[in-house]
Amino acid sequence: MTVVTEPDRPIELNEAPTAPPERYQPSALAKLAKLGPWPGLVVIVLAALVAGVATGITAGFPAHWVTGIQNSFDSLANWITVHQTSAPFFAHFLTPLGSWLGDCVIWVSDFLNFLTWPGVIALFVASSLLVGNWRVAIFVVIAMAYFGLIGLWTVSMSTLALMSVSVMIAIVVGIPLGIAAAANRFVEQAIRPVLDLMQMLPAYAYLVPIVLLFSIGNPGGIVATVIYATPPVIRLTMLGIHSVPSETIEAGKSFGSSRMQLLRKVQLPLALRPIIVGINQVIMMALSVVVVASLIGTGGLGDPVLQALNIVDVGDAFTAGVAIVFMAMILDRIVSAAANRIGRPSRALSLEQQHRKRLQQGAILAGVVVAVIIGTILSGPGGFPPGWSISISGPVNSLLTWLQTHLYHYSSLPIIGGTSNLSAFTTLEILNPLTRIAGNLPWWIPVFGTAALGLVIGGWRRALLVAAGVMAIGYSGMWSDSAITLAQVIVALIMCVVVGIPLGIAAYWWDGVDRLLRPILDVLQTMPAFVYLIPVVLFFGVGNMAGVAASFVYALAPAVRLTNLGLRQVRRDMVEAGNAFGSTRMQLLWKVELPAARPSIILAINQTIMLVLAEVIVAGLVGGGGLGYDVVVGLERDEFGLGLAAGLAIVIMGVVFDRLTQGRFVRRLPA
Amino acid sequence: MENTSVQISCKNLWKIFGPKGSTLVGTPETELSPAELQEKTGCVVAIRDVSFDVRRGEVFVVMGLSGSGKSTLIRSLTRLVEVDSGEITLCGSDVVKADKNQLREIRRHKVSMVFQQFSLFPHRRVVDNVAYGLEIQGMKKKERYARVDELLRVVGLSGFAQSYPSELSGGMQQRVGLARALAVDPEVLLFDEAFSALDPLIRREMQDEVIRLQERLHKTVVFVSHDLDEALKLGDRIAIMRNGSFVQVGTPEEVVGSPKDEYVAAFTRDVSRAKVLTARWAMRARTSTMVAPPDSRIVSESALLQSVLPLVLESDAPVGVIDAGGTLVGILDRKDVLAAINYEPAESAISLNSTLVEGPQRTEGALQ
Ligand SMILES: Nc1ncnc2c1ncn2[C@@H]1O[C@H](COP(=O)(O)OP(=O)(O)OP(=O)(O)O)[C@@H](O)[C@H]1O
Ligand SMILES: [Mg+2]
Repeated sequence: MTVVTEPDRPIELNEAPTAPPERYQPSALAKLAKLGPWPGLVVIVLAALVAGVATGITAGFPAHWVTGIQNSFDSLANWITVHQTSAPFFAHFLTPLGSWLGDCVIWVSDFLNFLTWPGVIALFVASSLLVGNWRVAIFVVIAMAYFGLIGLWTVSMSTLALMSVSVMIAIVVGIPLGIAAAANRFVEQAIRPVLDLMQMLPAYAYLVPIVLLFSIGNPGGIVATVIYATPPVIRLTMLGIHSVPSETIEAGKSFGSSRMQLLRKVQLPLALRPIIVGINQVIMMALSVVVVASLIGTGGLGDPVLQALNIVDVGDAFTAGVAIVFMAMILDRIVSAAANRIGRPSRALSLEQQHRKRLQQGAILAGVVVAVIIGTILSGPGGFPPGWSISISGPVNSLLTWLQTHLYHYSSLPIIGGTSNLSAFTTLEILNPLTRIAGNLPWWIPVFGTAALGLVIGGWRRALLVAAGVMAIGYSGMWSDSAITLAQVIVALIMCVVVGIPLGIAAYWWDGVDRLLRPILDVLQTMPAFVYLIPVVLFFGVGNMAGVAASFVYALAPAVRLTNLGLRQVRRDMVEAGNAFGSTRMQLLWKVELPAARPSIILAINQTIMLVLAEVIVAGLVGGGGLGYDVVVGLERDEFGLGLAAGLAIVIMGVVFDRLTQGRFVRRLPA
Repeated sequence: MENTSVQISCKNLWKIFGPKGSTLVGTPETELSPAELQEKTGCVVAIRDVSFDVRRGEVFVVMGLSGSGKSTLIRSLTRLVEVDSGEITLCGSDVVKADKNQLREIRRHKVSMVFQQFSLFPHRRVVDNVAYGLEIQGMKKKERYARVDELLRVVGLSGFAQSYPSELSGGMQQRVGLARALAVDPEVLLFDEAFSALDPLIRREMQDEVIRLQERLHKTVVFVSHDLDEALKLGDRIAIMRNGSFVQVGTPEEVVGSPKDEYVAAFTRDVSRAKVLTARWAMRARTSTMVAPPDSRIVSESALLQSVLPLVLESDAPVGVIDAGGTLVGILDRKDVLAAINYEPAESAISLNSTLVEGPQRTEGALQ
């Protein structure tokens, strides 16, 4: 029988429909806000029309508006050159500072020299053994032998010396500042905007003023590196201290610790690991600047690359580039091993084990001393014996020639022909037209266009800021060069997004893809920006396309990483809800996962665009044109006005890009 | 005939989480205590040989402590969790054997779920949250919005269509969750501790809402809860779950009136039994020798003991119990009522049980 027994419910039924919860009453302001950015957009369009009618259809920025800022910069530069010895600021501050920095490098170089090459290698091997394992040590031996064998020992050591000094200064300055900022709200508020700005700027942008102030040479290179590497140290220290759980701090307080005690005994020890992990990144960043700083006359590994690129000798650039990569990897391996060691809780060792461990450590240190002694006897202080060097440029060049014939020259590949065709096509059909459009649009279209974007993204203040930025680029006379840079940035960004986001999705869907990509991305993220120029020149020749390709490779990693990460962080229960309604995989992706991961994906785009800009600027070195090339010209031909104006335009572009990819619409989602 | 009204049928379901969990199904290892099993194999038995049927229009509540496997069970019904062995039939479809497309069709049209954490899509407005199920079925925007309008009215949220979930209170968010589940007009509704995250007042309001809707819509409902009051209030039948198994399945009266073991008894100890048990439960069934009490001392068989207490306690004489048709079905005196109310599980369980189960009606509709 099909009786569905009416359940005898042991409760009274609530017959009345539940009253609707109280209505939310929007205020007048909220009502206006409900309209969204539309009223503002109308205002901006009207303003653009007025401006358009007033100034007419101009090609780009009206020439008579351009201020003489470049000339002013030139006279400023002249004034500085003249007064370099007499003005007190120079005589009593910058010049002594510069020579002190130079001395520091010399001390470190002398020390490395004193160790002799076997001693240096032994020191690095010893460090690897103490913090890491044999695998790290073996890698260190191979990589350092490479420095010697290809005849780059001396320049490698100067890079090392520059790096050590810069990173030490960054740490010595950065950690106390970070502690102060973590401890004091005012300090933090004072520092934060500066940090934000510093982090956005490509190091390239401040090379010109540095040369002006310190003239060319090591001191300037160190200053550039320190400026670039200190903000992350400060940030990391703050982050590390803030990441100490508040319960732990409360526990510390409950014992009546003073503020200093709390800091020294609780917060700093616990913050140590994040700080060390961060120092690793700082070292990588420092390396990338130290190499670029060869442009302003610091020695080191950047120099041979630069010289080789200047005469388009890819073979030589390549061997030196590999040395840079090896340097990055050596430092990365050792420092991450150290960070891991600190993170691991140490095992309690038996007395015998402790004894053995101490013996091992003693033996390792003794090994270093022995190596130094042997090195001194064998070769006297100094570099790698020249007789030992082998030339690998023969095999490298034949490999490169092979690559060129099979990839570069036209008709070597199916469909696209060769990478040279690709390069020509992209330059002629995409980059050049885009540059022309960007450069020749009547000024009011880009100005009010960015304002409109800024309004939608971050409100009126944002709109004013970005519009003022675009105007400032025009006033400084960098309008058309910025257009060249902009076109490259846009194309590279699109490539990164089109390739990177799908790759990120693939890595999210299939763990196999994730595992495959991870080491590749690791390597991509370790290499200094500069190094990417080398293979790019090989495949695309010098020119605009080289900048685009280098930027694409350089900035791909964060696009993939952050997309993957963002998707993985989408709340599992939301994904489950999507599944429970029978979504297909694509529906789930488009309707649930991607929208929920939007903040990370926008962050990915923000990071990508900043990296793309940095690399497009660096690619000025290989004929990338635009603002980067202006900086190179400014440095090489002492055209300080041009270099400074270009640097300023780079800064402004960075700020505008950053502001246009961050803001309200990024943050609207509740956590 | 009975079969046609069974909407959900599960037979011998097993789910073991952990490395190579599925190979352990039915082995002696699963008899180990959870801690031992975890220690030895790293596995957790989340569902252990569970079988049950739910009939059309029935509200089936699954209760148990945290970690007893409730969520796993309710998720396995639509294979949000894949079971290791067993059969699941849902609205006539074999869920376990269904391929990807069939499963999707089941999820789209037959079953909807309401989640403990609401699990609304924070990037979608209320309308688009509620319309989600319709949207992915490919329904036109105009049509689905019309349907959503109606649903929001049903759950008392008209006027909030354009809000984002984060702008609503917890209770309102779960109303959206409810509307979202109802939107596709499913035959089966699954609730996983849907109201546990709400504060008591709102929780009660939502329970009333479900009862009100259920009276109109007659859905088949599986409701997971760890709140006995909620279970008693909503459930036609209640299953008590422990370490992955069903310990007892029965009507609220059966679970409260004759808990099968210590565990169930401990669960129901704090319930006011007079508010759950009915006159029919406590009465002695009619015999031929029984004299009908006077009309002034007659109660309905579905009356709660609480409401008949004053009348019963008035005098020593028994009270008559009649069914819906007015026929005398049994009698009830002071002793019967007190025995039912003061049930002490430990020693009296067996004896009480045996006397109480005598009534023929009692076994019907109980455990199948
Ligand atoms: N994905 C998983 N992997 C491994 N173990 C799991 C997984 N999901 C659940 N478990 C385990 O299975 C057991 C049952 O979990 P389940 O979530 O079904 O319990 P529950 O009754 O819903 O508990 P609660 O009331 O806390 O929600 C628990 O011991 C849990 O740890
Ligand atoms: Mg659960």
